[in-house]
Amino acid sequence: MKTLLKISWRNIWRNRTRSLVIILAIVLGLMGGIFSVGMRLGIETQQFRETVETQISHIQLHHPEFIANPEARFRIENGLQLAAEMMEKPWVEVASPRTVFDGMIASANMNAGVRIKGIDPELEILTTSLNELLEEGTYFEEEGRLPTIIIGQRLARDIKAEVGSRIVLTFQDIHGEIVSASFRVEGFYSVASPGFEERTVFLKADILNNLIGDSNAVNEIALLIHDLDQYREKTALLREMHPDIEIRNWADLAPSLYFSIEFLHQNMAWIVGIIILGVSFGLLNTILMSVLERVNELGVLMAIGMKRLKVFSMVVTETTLLSIVGGSLGLLLSWIMVVLLNINGIDMSGAGGEGLAEFGYSSLVFLEVPASLYLDIGVMVVIFAILASVYPAWKAVRFAPAEAVRQE
Amino acid sequence: MKTVIKTSNLEKVYNGSVAPVRAVNNVNLEFQEGEFTAIVGPSGSGKTTFLNLIGGLDKPTGGQVIIDGTDIASLKESQLFDFRLKHIGFVFQSYNLIPVLTAKENVSFIMLLQKQSKDAMEKRAKEMLEQVGLSDKLNSRPNQLSGGQQQRVAVARALASKPKFVLADEPTANLDTESAFNLLDIMSRLNKEENITLIFSTHDQRVIERASRVITLVDGEVSKDEMFDR
Repeated sequence: MKTLLKISWRNIWRNRTRSLVIILAIVLGLMGGIFSVGMRLGIETQQFRETVETQISHIQLHHPEFIANPEARFRIENGLQLAAEMMEKPWVEVASPRTVFDGMIASANMNAGVRIKGIDPELEILTTSLNELLEEGTYFEEEGRLPTIIIGQRLARDIKAEVGSRIVLTFQDIHGEIVSASFRVEGFYSVASPGFEERTVFLKADILNNLIGDSNAVNEIALLIHDLDQYREKTALLREMHPDIEIRNWADLAPSLYFSIEFLHQNMAWIVGIIILGVSFGLLNTILMSVLERVNELGVLMAIGMKRLKVFSMVVTETTLLSIVGGSLGLLLSWIMVVLLNINGIDMSGAGGEGLAEFGYSSLVFLEVPASLYLDIGVMVVIFAILASVYPAWKAVRFAPAEAVRQE
Repeated sequence: MKTVIKTSNLEKVYNGSVAPVRAVNNVNLEFQEGEFTAIVGPSGSGKTTFLNLIGGLDKPTGGQVIIDGTDIASLKESQLFDFRLKHIGFVFQSYNLIPVLTAKENVSFIMLLQKQSKDAMEKRAKEMLEQVGLSDKLNSRPNQLSGGQQQRVAVARALASKPKFVLADEPTANLDTESAFNLLDIMSRLNKEENITLIFSTHDQRVIERASRVITLVDGEVSKDEMFDR
């Protein structure tokens, strides 16, 4: 076995240039594959964070009728207590009760339809990190005569509001009566999704609840769970526990994002697989050439008593060693590439990144390559290489020794 | 004297493009232990085919090749591989060493396939390379050796595993006169000292002059079988 390995290893380096070319092909193939998958995963992860973690959270609870009619009156019964109970569950990271409904915002110049969210500022920091999204102003620190509100930067631009401007919200209370109230703009936030930023405003829930006439009103409970992989099970569990509440997870709330992530995860292996398949044909060609050049030599080995299976194994071992060298080098260089590119991220603004932002993508992309992908690719390279070596190895042992010895 | 190889009515017919080619026809020969035999004859007379048949590299279409009481034509392929490995040494015209192995590793290779111990292999390989005058080239690769030196390594390889007989297909054809004489001296010496049976196919007069027996093949048939006291 040791000698077989030794002979195979030395055979690889008999034609140094040819072996280096195929190793380079494996390395470039892997780097290309890992870059393209890492890029796609990076964009998806970023979009997931921007959509799910800053906007919709992992799981949302609502009154069933609220979905079709987002009005103040469709509240979750004993919402505050339910949110507190949720917080007690070990798998829940945070449960944020919100007062939510649609209304109108008016500045001195213009007005617009908005979704009004009454939040607990402290819990919201834990849920959506709203405080970190502020572009201007402060996060519910002002204690002035007027209660304060935080609005999206795009909305501020649309209605020509500034930090410190006075705006008026108009909405229905729990009895369906129209209520108007004045607020001072305390800050602008910014998220990647323009739609969310143009349409969502935040203020303190206690102030909003007083205005709608129910100091304990909760229209929405947003949950973050510790283990996101369990979101399906936890959604099902909550549905079972609370059949009278509409429970939706992030996949229900952002189906297109869900499908694109699922598609990517399912097809990631295909993308890399096709690249490795291409490289494998190169490998097959290289080994086949090296075998056909050595028909005479392999014939001699068989003539002096080396069995066909051993000669076959020798060719397979050569290919495997070549793929291990190329594969390890490719994975190492890919890893270095990912680390280096992720120091500053890849700025896509020059390559249609602005357009990306319109769809909720940030123009700065960080490659995302899970450790398991490196492992999968490593295993896949070796398996494909072994498969690619079967034909040349079969060719190698196909000749009768007497015939092979005669070949020059 | 002990008979090492016996052929009876040995025949090999190839399917030629026009008509079947009878490469070896009705050959009945016996080779005794310690004989140094040269098989001669014009090109196409069936010398190489005959060697391939008695070396178990090719199957006859008729007749028998009996080695040590075994008809090797009746062996299965895997048995034939083992048989060759254990009993037959080969020396080829183009040396055919394994290019990636050193002289010592090349000589050890068959013993390795025979699963001999490392120490035994090492000792025997050194001994054989010494016998062929290459004790200073143990770690040289074939491309660092001259043609004559490579062929001497090939002889050492063929003899290292102590085969019953050695088949050499035109071993001196690619060698200059000095190398050829050198090789023949070594082979003659080993033939006498170790009582090794040698069967050469050759055109080379230098080889023929050393042989104790010269068999002439014409059109696949034995036309002359002469013994010499050398």
